[in-house]
Amino acid sequence: MRRRLTTALALAAATASAHAEPSLVSGPEQADQDEIGDQAIGAELGVAGGGRVTPGGLRIAGHYLYQLSHQDWFDGTASFTYGGGEARCFRDRMDTFLCDHGFTDGSSVEISANVRRVFAPRGSFHPFARAGIGVALVRFSGDDVSGLAFPLHAGGGIRARVAPGFAVVAQADVQLGLGLFGHGLGAEPQLGMTVTAGAEFRLR
Amino acid sequence: MRTVVTAIVLLAASSGGCGGGDISREVGARCDTARDCDDRCLPPSDDFPDGLCTLDCQTSDECPVDTRCVDKESGVCLFTCNFTTDCSFLGPRWECNEQNERADQNVKVKVCVGG
Repeated sequence: MRRRLTTALALAAATASAHAEPSLVSGPEQADQDEIGDQAIGAELGVAGGGRVTPGGLRIAGHYLYQLSHQDWFDGTASFTYGGGEARCFRDRMDTFLCDHGFTDGSSVEISANVRRVFAPRGSFHPFARAGIGVALVRFSGDDVSGLAFPLHAGGGIRARVAPGFAVVAQADVQLGLGLFGHGLGAEPQLGMTVTAGAEFRLR
Repeated sequence: MRTVVTAIVLLAASSGGCGGGDISREVGARCDTARDCDDRCLPPSDDFPDGLCTLDCQTSDECPVDTRCVDKESGVCLFTCNFTTDCSFLGPRWECNEQNERADQNVKVKVCVGG
């Protein structure tokens, strides 16, 4: 009788331990379960907001994710921004060239290197933070103004698995940096934001 | 006391009448060609030192705030003023002069033009 009771208690304890495991797992192990995998690719569509000499408009981005650690992934991103092309620059009375582009003017091509840190899941959603640095070719065709920008990125998002190896992602990002422009503009600050959503596929 | 009141009145008059330098591609920017402006460039000349971006107009209703439609260059919007100092934001060679209004040439308006 006593042996039976001991065996039952041991089994119950083992079962309880097994069921409790997901909530006791620390962040790194939970990140493993996110199914990003060792490598993944993603595509996103959204909007970018800029102003002055920061481009904005429709944003299309492609991602390549490579696992660095239990929680962190390298996120190499190539993005394209397509905005309006109206001329918004002029020479003031002191003959200084100024630009005052709108929220969704200009276009750019950017590649950036980022690190994505995945946090413990909240229900079906896996939140993550992201930071990195990029280099972008920026153009405002209406004013024939082009430049090279070096934005720093910081943002975050959520990822939800919808099928094995397939997830949907939504993220927001702010950019702060410096752009070097021709046409007498010189160095100008870059300040913008993006909101995108898309899908990710696990490669392996 | 009278001196103070006069000064306040003069200050109010001088600040109330003129555009005060709200420069844009629409009106006020320097230009050489129409490409430098949203609508029209009055190229550099004695009348428009360093050039002036402006809009074609027939009445002042078609002009931005602080500008009036005057009977020059077939009707253009120019900054209003009370004194020549009101035109200093456009450059040292601009003065405040009376011009005929485009819609009613019997009406005189004071606008900034080259001196």
